[in-house]
This record gives sequence, C-alpha cells and structure tokens, in this order.
Amino acid sequence: MSKAILQVRNLTKRFGGLTAVSDLAFEVREGEILGMIGPNGAGKSTTFNLIAGTYSATEGEVQFSGEPVLGLPPHRIAAKGIMRTFQHNRPFGGMPVIENVMVGAHTRFTSTLWSVVAGYSRKEEIEKRRRAEELVDFVGLGDLRDADVTTLSFGQGRLLEIARALAGEPRLILFDEPAAGLTQDELDRLGGIMRGIAARGIAMLLIEHDMHFLLPLAHRVVVLNFGAKIADGLPGEIRADPAVMDAYLGGSHAAA
Amino acid sequence: MSVIARWLGPVLLLSGAAFLLSDYHNDVYRKMLLWVALALGYNFLFGICGQVAFSHFAFYGIGAYSVVILLFQFHLPLPLAIVLGVVICVLVALAVAIPSTRLEGFYLALATLALAQLFVVVLNEGGALTGGTSGIANYRLPDIFGVRIRGPWFTAVIVLLVVGTYAVLWRLDRSWFGRACRAVRDNPEAAAAMGVNVARTKVIAFTLTSALAGIAGMVYAFVDNTVNPPIFGIDNAFLLLFMVIVGGAGRHAGAVIGAVLLFLLPFWLSPVVGHHHVLVFGVLVLAAILLQPRGLIGLFDFAKKPS
Repeated sequence: MSKAILQVRNLTKRFGGLTAVSDLAFEVREGEILGMIGPNGAGKSTTFNLIAGTYSATEGEVQFSGEPVLGLPPHRIAAKGIMRTFQHNRPFGGMPVIENVMVGAHTRFTSTLWSVVAGYSRKEEIEKRRRAEELVDFVGLGDLRDADVTTLSFGQGRLLEIARALAGEPRLILFDEPAAGLTQDELDRLGGIMRGIAARGIAMLLIEHDMHFLLPLAHRVVVLNFGAKIADGLPGEIRADPAVMDAYLGGSHAAA
Repeated sequence: MSVIARWLGPVLLLSGAAFLLSDYHNDVYRKMLLWVALALGYNFLFGICGQVAFSHFAFYGIGAYSVVILLFQFHLPLPLAIVLGVVICVLVALAVAIPSTRLEGFYLALATLALAQLFVVVLNEGGALTGGTSGIANYRLPDIFGVRIRGPWFTAVIVLLVVGTYAVLWRLDRSWFGRACRAVRDNPEAAAAMGVNVARTKVIAFTLTSALAGIAGMVYAFVDNTVNPPIFGIDNAFLLLFMVIVGGAGRHAGAVIGAVLLFLLPFWLSPVVGHHHVLVFGVLVLAAILLQPRGLIGLFDFAKKPS
C-alpha cells in the first residue's frame, strides 16, 4: 500500500457554539482518489476549506508530505503542491482559456521580476505555455484554447478549473463537488479525466454529493455526519455500512 | 528581430518627429508624450491590476518636486537627485500600499485620494522648501557631461522615457506577474488558490507604477522649468482615469489612444466651446462606459473582426 501524502489528525472547527468539524482524522495516500461524502451540513465543505487554507482551524494538525500545512494562507498551500477547484467555477474572466491555465502554473515560474523586465524570461514563458496547451488538450478544451472564458458552458468551465489546477503541478488536488451541475455525458467525461489524473500519480480528495458518480470512481471513501467521521473504507464497504445507510444513503436511495 | 531593433524603430520615429516641429509644438508634443507615459502606468495599475487609485498623478508631482528640491535646494548632483527621487516615490508608495491592501478596494481609493489631497496641502504649506503657493521656478536642467540638452533633444529624452515605460510594462504584462495582476483583478480568491500572493502582487504593482509616474514627473519638471501646486491638483488624477477608460482599460494601446485623444481634445474644442470641453469629456466617458466598456480599442477590435 502506498504511503500517505496528506494526514489529517484531530481536526476541529467551531463557529461560535457550533462544532462544524469535530476531532476528524483521515489520510489521503499517494495517487489515490479519496471520496468524502455526507449529508448537507456534515462538515465536508468546512474540512475542504480548512485544508485549502481558507478557514483557520480551532484545533488539529494537517501534514502534507510530512510538513505541517495547517494555518498557512491559500497561496502558500498551493505552492506546497495542493491545488483546488471551485464548486461554482471561478475563471479569470478577462483572460482567454490558455492564460487562465497559465495562472495555475504561477508558483512554478522561476524567473524573477528583474529578469522579466530585462527580457530574459521568454524561454520559460514559452515552455510553460506549451505545457499549458498540453493540459488544455488533456481536459478536452483544445479547440477553445484562445476562447474568451465567458463563452464557455458550465461543464467546459469545470474542465478549465481542472486544467488550471493541474498546471500548478500538484501532488494533491482538492475537488469541491466536481459533479455538481453537470450532465450525464459531462460526468462520464469528468470521471475519465480524473482516472487519467490518478494514472499520473496525483492524489485527489473529492467532496461529493453524487453517489452514482463518486462510488465507482473513488478508491476509498470517508463518510462524515454532524462533523464527525462515521465510516472510512472501500466503496463496497461504504455501500453496505448500516450507519452510512442510516445517515445518508438510505434517504438518497429511497428518493432515487 | 533583436530586442534593440524592436524598440529602436519607435524611438527614432517618435524623436525624429520632434526635429520637424516648432518650439511651441515641441512643448505640446512633450506634454502629450508625458501623458502617454502616465496613462500607460496607470493602465497597468487600474486596468490590469484592478486597483482604483487616485494617487498616480500625485506621484508624478512627488517625482517632479523631489528632483527640483534635491537639485536646487540641496544642490545634489543630478544622478543622485534622480536616484533619491525614485527612492522617495517608492517609500511613499509602500507607505500607502501596504496598509491599503489589508482593506477592501474601496479603501484604496479613499486612501489614495487622501494622499493626493494631502500632497497639494503639503506643497502649499511647505514654506521655502516647496516655494509655497507659487512653487519653484527659474531653474534649468543641469548640463550632462558638459552638454546642455534642449529643444528637440530634450523631447528625444522624453521619447526614451515613454518607450522605456512601454517596454517595461509590456514585458511585465506578458509574464507570470502580469497574469497574476489580472487574476487578482478578476477573482482574488481564485488567484490565491492558484498560489498568487494577492497582497504582495498589489503592493508591487502599486509601487512600481507609482515609481514610473515619479520618473515621468522628474522629466516633466524640466518641460516648463516650474513646479507649483495647481499643476498637481486632483482634477488631473481624474483626467488620467478618463484617458484609460475612454481608450480601453487593460490594454496598452487603449491607454495610448485615450491619452493622445483626451490631451489633444481641448486644443480642438477650446476654440469652439471654450472651457465647456470638460462637459464633452464627461459625455465621452459616460458613452464609453455605457456603450463600449472596452473603450475605443474595443471599437477597433470590433471593426477588425470579420463577422
């Protein structure tokens, strides 16, 4: 079994009297797709924001490749090799697709501001642009490389989020409900892309609502309810877990 | 094409023009070029980085006054006066930018507006140092290596400044830094998630463009050989904003077009409508915002598109 790249221990977040995440522990292993599920208000998004650096934790520890990362600002977390996507796509509206992806590579540029002004950064710029073009092709937006991002469909915008995250050469990508708002065709495509990312050895943490999308895709699943972990196992085990059925799947299956 | 060749063409062409112009037209041409330099820097700050600052023109004044005071009140040599002038601009810019970025965008506008007003107050109340309300006059550019630079040759210096400013901003814009600035403008939270240090990017962009404005101001000090408080009043800060908006915010070519057009407009309009040309400006800006938010350069793009 491959070793853990992200280790979360004792993670707790209280908003005033409300405990959104309580004593949470889990790990993401190298190259693995870890799904995190739970009903609304279970603390998934809070957990996500704690790891991404958007919220500060009340207590706990998060280690990435053995280094503590909890409490670092988001841009430092990205530089460490953890990139993220947004549930509601957040493209940079004033730039074409390719430039959006190149922003994702921001932390991988080595030329200084002085060398930019002196005109010595051209080579790196060309090299990074070529790499961004490959990523745009990888997510299937090759025809839209120079398109205005405001003309993209919602599904294409989601693919752009992924290409942009990949440009940061991450070792872990955090996905905030990547399936939300996508059609079945787009979901199939997204699943294929995610497997392709896993094949590159990049680990993924998926916060997700859509069981039908998540269970066939994830290597392991963590289930949250009321801010605490109630189950952690293989997708097959999660399906059969009575506590999970109770908290979440039961309702969802009855409705389906 | 080599780097030198690429920038040499425009420099020769723009400075060559100065030798064909009369003294009066050289004066107009110089001022127009300086507005272009200012608009290019302000476009980077406002159009590309999205910072609504009203201090850009004040930094032009800080540069102008600094170099004049250092040269003629403290009798420093020219190179030292220039370097110290840049240092003063950088320090003032940092003092404004660092606390401002901790606040939301609106407060940057307020803080920089306050700086611009404060600057004029300081000039008026500066006593012998700033020359008070009448400013400082009757000086001239010191000789450089025994050579007195004047006439079209001084215009050529301004051309070098404009082309240099353009080259620096153009390179920055087409780099990771320019993209970071645009990302910060479009969506700061997503920019941070991509690894962009939002506060640092804003402070660098503000300080750098303010220093460029200061350098332009140093040159301006020798255009009229006089500096006084009314020149650096707040209305010019708004004129600069109008130039960038009318030309097309976020585009270097837009800044150039906006600056040239709005600078020359009063020369054409004044004989017709007198001082009411300000009203025409207002209408132009409104029309630009309502009808063509991408400015005149947006119209040009539209005309160029085949469809």
